[in-house]
Amino acid sequence: MIVASAVLLLEVSPGSAAGPPASPAVPDDTLAIIVNQSNTIDDLSLKDLRTVFLGERSHWPNGRRITLVMMDPGLSERKAVLRDVCHMNETEFSRHFLQGLFTGEVFVSPKTLSTSVGVRKFVFNVPGAIGYLRASDVDGSVKVIKVNGHRLDEADYPLRIEIRASK
Amino acid sequence: MRDEGQNAESIERRVFVRLWNSVWRLVSRHSSSLLLFMVFCVVVGVGIFMMGDLHTATEQVQRMYAGSVQGLRRIGELQYEAQETRRATLYALTTNDSNLQVEYADQSRGADRMVTEGISQYLVEARSASEVELGKRLQRDWASYLRVRDEVLAEILEGSIKEAVDLDLTGGVPSFDRVRQDLEEVKRLYDQQASEQLTVVDTSSRKSIIRLMGVLCFTLLFASASVWAIQRSKMMSAMKLAKMQMDFVASVSHELRTPLAVICASAQNIADGVVEEKDQLAKYGSVIRHHSNQLTELVNQILLFASTHEGRNRYVVRALKVPEIISAVMMNTRAVAEQAGFAVEEHLGADLPPVNGDFSAVCQCLQNLVVNAVKYGGNHRRITIRAFRGLRDGDRAEEMRISVEDHGIGIDSSELQQIFEPFYRSPVVAAAQIHGTGLGLPLAKGIAEAMGGRITVVSKVGVGSRFTLHLPLAKALETETIGAQRVAQV
Repeated sequence: MIVASAVLLLEVSPGSAAGPPASPAVPDDTLAIIVNQSNTIDDLSLKDLRTVFLGERSHWPNGRRITLVMMDPGLSERKAVLRDVCHMNETEFSRHFLQGLFTGEVFVSPKTLSTSVGVRKFVFNVPGAIGYLRASDVDGSVKVIKVNGHRLDEADYPLRIEIRASK
Repeated sequence: MRDEGQNAESIERRVFVRLWNSVWRLVSRHSSSLLLFMVFCVVVGVGIFMMGDLHTATEQVQRMYAGSVQGLRRIGELQYEAQETRRATLYALTTNDSNLQVEYADQSRGADRMVTEGISQYLVEARSASEVELGKRLQRDWASYLRVRDEVLAEILEGSIKEAVDLDLTGGVPSFDRVRQDLEEVKRLYDQQASEQLTVVDTSSRKSIIRLMGVLCFTLLFASASVWAIQRSKMMSAMKLAKMQMDFVASVSHELRTPLAVICASAQNIADGVVEEKDQLAKYGSVIRHHSNQLTELVNQILLFASTHEGRNRYVVRALKVPEIISAVMMNTRAVAEQAGFAVEEHLGADLPPVNGDFSAVCQCLQNLVVNAVKYGGNHRRITIRAFRGLRDGDRAEEMRISVEDHGIGIDSSELQQIFEPFYRSPVVAAAQIHGTGLGLPLAKGIAEAMGGRITVVSKVGVGSRFTLHLPLAKALETETIGAQRVAQV
């Protein structure tokens, strides 16, 4: 896991050169939820986020189809989303989508990308995409939304990557 | 008032004539040098003209290269990058791997940025209205294609391949075709411009060659004419000098022959015993002595001129009293003047300051002027010598002026400068059988200049002439040794 985290950091570094981090005051372990710049959504509750990330919601209010972007299994950002948003582990998450797609309860199959730069570029290119990034990997090409009405730099922001746990 | 106006006009005319004479004299004296200088100027001018022509031709070629050849290269790059934009978009269709799809989308966007920049650059450099219009149309069509391309990319990344293909076929292909046509049109425009520029350069080159040939022919002709003129001028100068020398030899021979004939005849008479009485013998001796003195004077004058001309003479310059100079001149020329029946008057100003000069040289100079006055004084046998202070032309410093004035035949204004040239004899005096060597005035002028002074002349035909020796005043009691060409403190 330590190796995985290190690889993540190394891969993120060139991508982060594309733009400055969201804010220097934001702790590095904060997980940002990002959407396309054209998306009118500014704030989502954790409950809405869960609906979106579990593929139970197919379209945004502006009519664009939702495209869910996930990072490769094992990465700390993905773990944080599974834990804090989906309240599932990796197996439960995979099973949920297999089952949901089969039964028709799930409308969206997540796109999996291996790097934070890839996630950012995907969200930049797709108007209905939603994904997540470590706060330090965010730049101006994507839009960061509030969660439960809290901004990234606020103490009550609910999404954190537990680095210690990954060790 | 009217008289004052006429006087002013007369002064202006005189100044103009003097200036013209000075210029003409300068041109005549340095004609070869001036011609060479003109040839040099023409060659330099031709060189500058040729360089300017070459520079213009180079600029035209550079402009053609920058405007058309580089434009064509840039448009080729634009076409390639536009194809890259489309190729990368279509490649994204060939895979389900989102990472690869993002990479292709990235490539497509990278290429489209270069196309957009290229179009902006084209618009900045567009000069004609048609170029601007075409550039704007290309910009519009490219933006329209990019909008479709973005939608297609989004569909591909979302996984909606069918929708992506449909969108590309209905919107992307026609938009991209319009862009391709625009680019072809830009290329055609560049081709047309390049061909026009080539025609301009070709025409310009032909004109340049014709101009250069013309200029070279002119230069050749001018240089040949100049060389011919220089050679002719030198030949004329040599002929003039030879003629003057011949005249000088003839004149000197004549001057020598008359006293020699008298001396020979007198000596023959004495030898033949024709002269027996003591009184007659004394008379013959006096005649022989007089003519011998004339011969000696003539030879001395020639030798003096030669030594002055070669710069071998050395003068002892010191403060001289003007009355003493005039007195010596009067004494030395009394015999000549009396023999010719001339009365010499002197008018000396009061409190005349001393002048700088070599006593014997200054006396020689003035004696030459007096002897000339006797020779050319005509029937009105009166000579006036004046000494007075004056102001120098340039720095308005005080100087001494000693003038010798006669009322004889005068000198034509066209000859006023030539009379100071060695061996020059006026045709008028030659025709009037007035003998001379043509060395008196050049010798006087050389002496005056060696003393730091000069000689001026005012003359009118039939009225008389006034020669004035201008000498610097002595600043202190000093003595200098002056060569004909240089000054050395002793």
